[in-house]
Amino acid sequence: MLAASVVIMGVGALIAPLLVRYLGRYTGYPLALVFLISGLLILTEAPDVMSGATVTQSWQWVETFDVQFTLRLNGLSLLFAMLVLGVGVLVLSYAPQYLDPSYEVGRLYTVLMLFAGAMLGLVLAGDLILLVVFWEITTLSSFLLVAGSGTSGVWPAVRALVITGIGGLALVGAVVVLALRTQTTNIEEAIAVAPGALSATDIAIIGPLIVIAAFTKSAQLPFHFWLPGAMVAVTPVSAYLHAATLVKAGIYLLLLFSPLFTEVAAWHITLMGIGLATAVFGAFQALRQWDLKSLLAYSTVSQLGTMVALVGVGTSASLAAAALLVAAHALFKATLFMLVGIVDREAGSRNLADLSGLWRAMPITAALTGLAAMSMAGFPPLVGFVAKEEAFYAFLDVPQASWTADQQWLGFAAAAIAVIGAALTLAYSARIFFGAFFGPLTQRNLYEPSWLFLAPAIVPAIAGLALGVAPWLLNGIIDRTSQDVGFPLVQSDLSLWHGLSIALGLSIIAITLGLIIHFRRESLLRWVGQETPRSIAPEVFDRIWYSTLSLGARVGRSAHSASVGVQLGGVGILLLVLTVGGFFVIPGAADGLQPVLPDIAQPVDVVILVLLVPTVILLARARTAIAALVLAGFVGLIISLWLLLLGAPDVALTLLLVEILTVVVAAPVLSRLPAHRGLGSSTRAGISAVVVGVISGLAVWVFTGRREASSLSEFFLAEAEQLTGGTNVVNTILVDFRGLDTLGEITVLFAAALGLLAAGVIAVKRPGEDVLGKGEQAVLRVGSRVIIPLLLLAAAVLFWRGHDEPGGGFIAGLVAGSALAVAGISGIHVRLPQPVVILALGLGIALGSGLLGQVLGGTFLEPFKVDVPVLGSLTTSLIFDLGVFLVVVGLVRTALQRLDGLDQDSQDSDRQDDEPDRDLDSVRVLP
Amino acid sequence: MSLAIAVALLAGVGTWLLVRGGAVRLILGFILLGHAANLVIIAAGGTNRRVAPIVDGSAPLDAAADPLPQAFVLTAIVITFGVTVYLLGLVARIAKKSPGSELEEGFESDDEGVSRR
Repeated sequence: MLAASVVIMGVGALIAPLLVRYLGRYTGYPLALVFLISGLLILTEAPDVMSGATVTQSWQWVETFDVQFTLRLNGLSLLFAMLVLGVGVLVLSYAPQYLDPSYEVGRLYTVLMLFAGAMLGLVLAGDLILLVVFWEITTLSSFLLVAGSGTSGVWPAVRALVITGIGGLALVGAVVVLALRTQTTNIEEAIAVAPGALSATDIAIIGPLIVIAAFTKSAQLPFHFWLPGAMVAVTPVSAYLHAATLVKAGIYLLLLFSPLFTEVAAWHITLMGIGLATAVFGAFQALRQWDLKSLLAYSTVSQLGTMVALVGVGTSASLAAAALLVAAHALFKATLFMLVGIVDREAGSRNLADLSGLWRAMPITAALTGLAAMSMAGFPPLVGFVAKEEAFYAFLDVPQASWTADQQWLGFAAAAIAVIGAALTLAYSARIFFGAFFGPLTQRNLYEPSWLFLAPAIVPAIAGLALGVAPWLLNGIIDRTSQDVGFPLVQSDLSLWHGLSIALGLSIIAITLGLIIHFRRESLLRWVGQETPRSIAPEVFDRIWYSTLSLGARVGRSAHSASVGVQLGGVGILLLVLTVGGFFVIPGAADGLQPVLPDIAQPVDVVILVLLVPTVILLARARTAIAALVLAGFVGLIISLWLLLLGAPDVALTLLLVEILTVVVAAPVLSRLPAHRGLGSSTRAGISAVVVGVISGLAVWVFTGRREASSLSEFFLAEAEQLTGGTNVVNTILVDFRGLDTLGEITVLFAAALGLLAAGVIAVKRPGEDVLGKGEQAVLRVGSRVIIPLLLLAAAVLFWRGHDEPGGGFIAGLVAGSALAVAGISGIHVRLPQPVVILALGLGIALGSGLLGQVLGGTFLEPFKVDVPVLGSLTTSLIFDLGVFLVVVGLVRTALQRLDGLDQDSQDSDRQDDEPDRDLDSVRVLP
Repeated sequence: MSLAIAVALLAGVGTWLLVRGGAVRLILGFILLGHAANLVIIAAGGTNRRVAPIVDGSAPLDAAADPLPQAFVLTAIVITFGVTVYLLGLVARIAKKSPGSELEEGFESDDEGVSRR
C-alpha cells in the first residue's frame, strides 16, 4: 500500500494539467481526493504500525551498489505522512476558492502534486539514496512554486534554492560517509550498525552535515531568512510548504538521525542552543511585523526552533514533545495561513495597519482565527497548550539526558528561554487577533466568506480544540514516534491538567509575561530599538552571492574577447606553465633527457622539408584567398607524402582525400571573398608566431623520439590479427579496439554536418550558376562517366579490404565523397537520400552494431565473428565501419550542398538513362 | 629533428595567420595548426620505425610504426575536415548576411587590383 500511495500522488501530478483544462482552478477538489485516497491507503497499514511493527516494501534499484528502492512505515513516518496528506487535503480544497481565476493554475497544481509526492516519499524512504533523491525534489519543486508567483518571486526563490541546495549537498555528504562506513544504504541497518562502524571522526563529519541540511531546510539561524522571503508565494503554497510540510523535513531528518548522536554532547548543545536562539529571535521578529504572512513566517521560524531544541534534548519525552509540537503546529499554522488568505481576499489587505474591526463583518473568520491563535499562544484548552507544557517538562528534564552530567542549571536555563519564547509567541498571537479583528470597522461592504472557502480552515481549527480537550488520543502516535526513532518507550500521559506542577507554573508565567508584552509592545520595541537586533545573514548571503557572480564574470571575461590571441593566449600560457612546471615537479624529469634515438630523422625528411618550408612561407605571404587555399592544399599533399614515407599509408590516404575535398568545398566560398590583407598588428602576429613555433618545435624535439616503441604499440602489433582477424592494425584500432572513440568521433562529424544543415542553405552560388561553364561541364561530364564509377569501385574495394590493408570506412567514405564532388562539379545530378538521412543512417548503424555487440558479445561495441557462406569469416566491426562510411559520405554531401550549392535539387534535365552503378552500400548514382 | 622543424614551421605560420585575423586566414591557420598537431602525435610514436603497421607477415614487427598515433591522427584529420567545413559555413553565412562585418575586415578591396572574381 505504501508504494501505491506514492504512485497515486505521481499520477495526480500527471493528470493535473489535463484536469486543469476542463476544471480550471477547481482542479483542487479532485486533487484533494487524490490526497485523501493516498492517506487512506497508508492508514490501512496504521494498525500494524501502532502495535509496534514496521511495514516495509522494497525493490532492487541500483544493482551495482546494492541500493534498494525501499519504502517503510513506522511511527515517525506515519506521523509525518499524515501531516503531508492531511494538510494536503485541506490546502487543495482551499486553493480553488482562494486562487484568482486568472492565475496560472496548471503549473501550480502540477508542481504542488509533485512536491507533495516527493514529500511523502521523503518521509517513507527507507533507503539513504532514496531519501536524498526525494529531498532534492522537494527543494526543486518548492523553488518552482515560489518562483512561479511572478517576477517578485524570483529573487526570494533563488535565495531559498541556494540555501536549501547547500543543505542538500550537505545531506549528500553525510549520506555518502554513512553509507561507506556502514556498508549499507538501508536506513534502518545503517543506524543499527552505526555505533560500531562510525569512528569519532566520522561522527564529527556526519553530524555537522546533517545539522546544516536540517537547519537550512527548517530555517534555523543563520539560514532562517529564506523563509520570510518565500512568503511571496501564493497563500496555499505558504500554508502547505512553509507551515506544515517542507520546513518540517529538517525536523524529520534530525529525528531520523538522532540515534547516531545520543552520546555526542556537541550535537545536543548545537541543537538546543541554535534552536532556542531561533525560537526567541523568530518570535521577536514576528512581533515587529505588520504583514500578517511575514508575521506567520517568523512565527514558523520560531516554532521550528523550539522543535529543533526539543530534538536536541534527546530524551524519549522530549522527542515525544517534539512530535506533538509538529502535529499541533501543522494544525494551527495551516489554519492561520488559510485564514490570513481569506482576510486578504475579503478585505483586500493582509497588513495590520490596514485591518481593523473585522469581527463585526466576519465573526466566523474571527472566531476561527482566535481559536488557532490561542492554540499557537499555548492557551488551554487547545492542543498548543498541551504541546507547550510537554515542551516545558522536556526542557526541565535535560539533566536526565544521557549526554549531560546531571547539570541542573542547564534544565532551568533551557526552560527559562523557552518561557521567554512562549511569552513572545503569546504576544504576537494576540496581536494577530486583536490587531485585525478588534477596534472600529473601517471598511464597508465586507462579508463573511462562503462556507466552502471557510471549511478547510474550520476542520483543523476544531481539531486543535478537540485534541486539546482529549489529548490522550495522541498518546499512541507520539510514543511510537519517539520509540521508532530509537528511544526507549515511555508511556506518555497527555492531559490538560497535570495538577499543580512546575510546568503549569511556567505556563502561567509565560501567559502573564506574554500579555504584558502584548500591551506594552510599543515601549518594548522602542526600548530594544527598531533596527536591532537585525540579522545580518541576508546581507552576508547577498554579498557572497554577488561576489561569486562577479568572480565568475571576471574569470569569464577573457573568453568574451573576439580576439583569437586573447582566446588562445591564456590556454597557451597555462600549457607552458604546466609543461615547464612539470620539469621541476615530476621527480626525475629534470635529471636530463634520454638521447635521441638514431634514425629518428632520415635523409628523405630533408626532401620533404625542402618542399614544405617554401610552400608554407608562400602561404603566409599569399595575397589572394584562392592562392592561399591552393598553397594550403599543397601543404597537405606534402604532408601526406611524408606520412606515407613514415609508414602511415592509411593516414596519408585520408589526408590526401581530405585536402582534395577541402579545396573543392572551400574554393567556391573563398573565391567569393575579396583578397586579403593583414588585419591585426603584424608585429604582434610575428612575435606570437615565433614564440608558438619555437615552443612547439622545442617540445617535439624534447619530448619525442627518445624512447623505444610503447608497450601499447607492441601489444597492438602482436595481438591485432589474432584478436580481431584483421591485419591492418590501424583499422583494427579504429573499429575493434577503440570503437567507442571512433563512435564519439563520427558523432562529432555528425554534429558538424547538422550544424551546417541547421544554418540553412548558405551556398554562395547564385541560382543558375555552376562552378564551370556549360561547355566545360559537357567535357567534364564525359570524363566523369568513367571517373565516377571508378571512384565508387575504388571506394568499395577500399572499404572491403580496410580491415587487412590500407582503407576502411573513413577512407572509403572520402573517396565516395570525392565521387560526389566530381559529379557536382560536372553538373551531374546524383539521386541520393537527403544528407540528414545518410548521416542518421550511418550513426544509427554504428550504434546498432554496438548494441549488437552488447546483446551477442556481452559488451557495447564488442565485435564478434560470423561465418558467412561464400564470403568467409566476417566480423561485425565491418557493420560498424559501414556506419563510419555513411557518416563521412553524409558530411561530404552536406558540405557540397550547403557550401558550394552543388547538387541541391533535382536537375531532371540532366538526368540520363544509364544504368545506375551500385557500390557496396547501394548508393545509387545516376550520371 | 625533422618533425620538430616541420611542427615549428606549421605551428608558427598557423599562429601568424590566426593572429593577423580575417576569415580566410582564420580557416587556413586552423588547417595548418591541425597539421602541426597531427605531426606532433605521429612524432610521439617515434619515427625511427617506418614500415606500415600491416601485420601480414611481410615485414618484421619491430620495424613497424606505432599504429596507435596513426589511428588517432586519422580520425583527427577527418574531424579537422568536419570542423573546417563548419567554419566555412559560418564564414559564408556571416559574409552573406552582413557584408563588411568583422570577419570580412582585412581583405584587400577591389581598387587595389589584386581581387580575383
